[in-house]
Amino acid sequence: MTGTGGLWMLLALGLLIVATGLPVWALLIGVASAFAALGLATGAADLRILSALPGRMVGLLEHDLLQAMPLYVFVGVLLQRLAVADALFATLARLFRPLSRHAGASQSLAALGLGALVAPMNGSVASSSALLSRLVAPRLGRLDPARATALVSVAATIGVVVPPSLVLILLGDAMLRAHTEAGNLPGAALGGQRIINTQDVLNAALLPAACVLALWALVAWWQGRRTGITSSSKVPEAPVTRAQAAIALIAVSVILLLLGGVFAGRLFAVEAAAAGGCLLAAAALAGRALRWAQWRAVLADTLALSGALFALLVGATTFSLVFRLFGTDRWLAELVLGSPLAPLPTAALVLAGVALCAWVLDAFEMIFVIIPIVAPPLIARLGDAQQAAVLLLLVLQLSFLIPPMGYAVLMARARSGLGPVPMPRLLRALAPYVLAQLALIAAVFLLPALVHQLDAPAPPPSAAAPASDQDIVRQMEEMARPPEDAASAADGGQ
Amino acid sequence: MMRRICLAASLLVLPLALLLCVQWPLRDAVQAGSRLANDLGQILFALYMAVAVTAASRARAHLAAQRHVEPAEGGETSRGARWRDAALLACLAPWSLFMLWAFTPQLLASLRQWERFGETLTPGYFLIKLALWLMVLLILLHALAQAWLPPERRP
Repeated sequence: MTGTGGLWMLLALGLLIVATGLPVWALLIGVASAFAALGLATGAADLRILSALPGRMVGLLEHDLLQAMPLYVFVGVLLQRLAVADALFATLARLFRPLSRHAGASQSLAALGLGALVAPMNGSVASSSALLSRLVAPRLGRLDPARATALVSVAATIGVVVPPSLVLILLGDAMLRAHTEAGNLPGAALGGQRIINTQDVLNAALLPAACVLALWALVAWWQGRRTGITSSSKVPEAPVTRAQAAIALIAVSVILLLLGGVFAGRLFAVEAAAAGGCLLAAAALAGRALRWAQWRAVLADTLALSGALFALLVGATTFSLVFRLFGTDRWLAELVLGSPLAPLPTAALVLAGVALCAWVLDAFEMIFVIIPIVAPPLIARLGDAQQAAVLLLLVLQLSFLIPPMGYAVLMARARSGLGPVPMPRLLRALAPYVLAQLALIAAVFLLPALVHQLDAPAPPPSAAAPASDQDIVRQMEEMARPPEDAASAADGGQ
Repeated sequence: MMRRICLAASLLVLPLALLLCVQWPLRDAVQAGSRLANDLGQILFALYMAVAVTAASRARAHLAAQRHVEPAEGGETSRGARWRDAALLACLAPWSLFMLWAFTPQLLASLRQWERFGETLTPGYFLIKLALWLMVLLILLHALAQAWLPPERRP
């Protein structure tokens, strides 16, 4: 069982998740505990290695990046209760109206715009979906329900690629570790690329995210104008009040300032999330937007949702330790690296496997359970960690949009209140978005330069030329040589 | 009791946001105190998360495959609820007991020397370890209470 033991763990986990409906974090821990006991009984596992688990948990609690988690959740929960998102949507719909005489088009574009603006400060796909279902879905009455459901699903996934969302921050951290591991894999050719960090992932994702938004905006506009209802039709539209316009202007300015601060390197993403949370809370307090009971509900929801995310992390940490005890990570890496196929087709197969997993799992489960396993060999095969990170993000986003199991579609159908939509019609509505996404994935796959537009400039060759293996061996031999040898070598050299 | 602990812990997100927010001006403008703010933020985060996992269990906020179709607490059959609670206890109790067994000596050593943060030597690092111990204990107690106590007697 050693080597493939982890695969049995994954299979058991998948079956139990689907069959029992129990919380995933508890199943992660339960499956890991059962296999650890089995490993101890058969001698495949060592109790001393399992004793490293508390140390790993302490590592989670003192992790700088993870401190952002409750702050993002806090902002997401606050946004659902404050008028900021309503004001943003109304103002965007008014702004986009001149682009088309069809009201459906301006509302579709406003829905996408709202998703793009709040996604970076929102917690997750689930959180974005909840916000859009409450706020946007009831106002998409002019659209065909299938197209409205597709639009809400698509807008909810924008946070997966638009920096500096929580998904991106956590993926950045996972990629840092994966890149470090990839460097230690036998036969990995990383071309001297330094270990990437979260900022590198944010920078790499920016241009593809902009492309996704542009392509989807085109699709939303095109689908919206085919409603057959013009803005001069009899369906009344609520006017934008001055207060709404002012709130929207301030909110957009703050979001752009914080994003600019993160990309300019003046602010860490965690600090930007904290600043956003503080400003939003201060605005709510100053405007007396919430009563004490509502504040208590906001704080209680934030605590519970943060706890749910952290519990997943606890479960995934336990699961991955036992998974590695069986050596399955090395077994998988050898399988990928020893593939008879060329690197690109092999990488494409790995990404297809990721897409399949993401079709049934949430972004956080993917980041905490699957990506730490598949990312190191993927990086080793592609030879570019930033490209691998962006491809993983785009593939996650794509899978969330494939019905019936895709997470964003599932949430939109369950929560938006848009009514039952026949699957063929939903598929037709989603198809243009999915095709645009596939085209972008292909572009990033074949043109890695797309993710390196914002890379820091390379240092001059004289200052940072990486030493070759021969140089390193020669330097080590010189350092290890006894003084008299070195002296005679120097004499001989004269 | 647990409700009050959750309420107290839920308030910690406000000073946590403030502490992380002021790190930027402290680092760039004041050029002092940002590391201290970071250490304090870590302690608050650890204490917050120590309670948050159990708060999520109480609120049934944990991610599950059938969450979107899961019936509300009142609508769940008592047999189904008992099976679910027993299964959760079976998943979590061995892990919790192992964690407490393996981690308690480390915690005691940390408490005895009032362990400080390694890089800054700010006092209080032992609170992060205490938070982990508290988190595991709360998880175990909650799982036990769910499995053994009738609904009206649960904390």
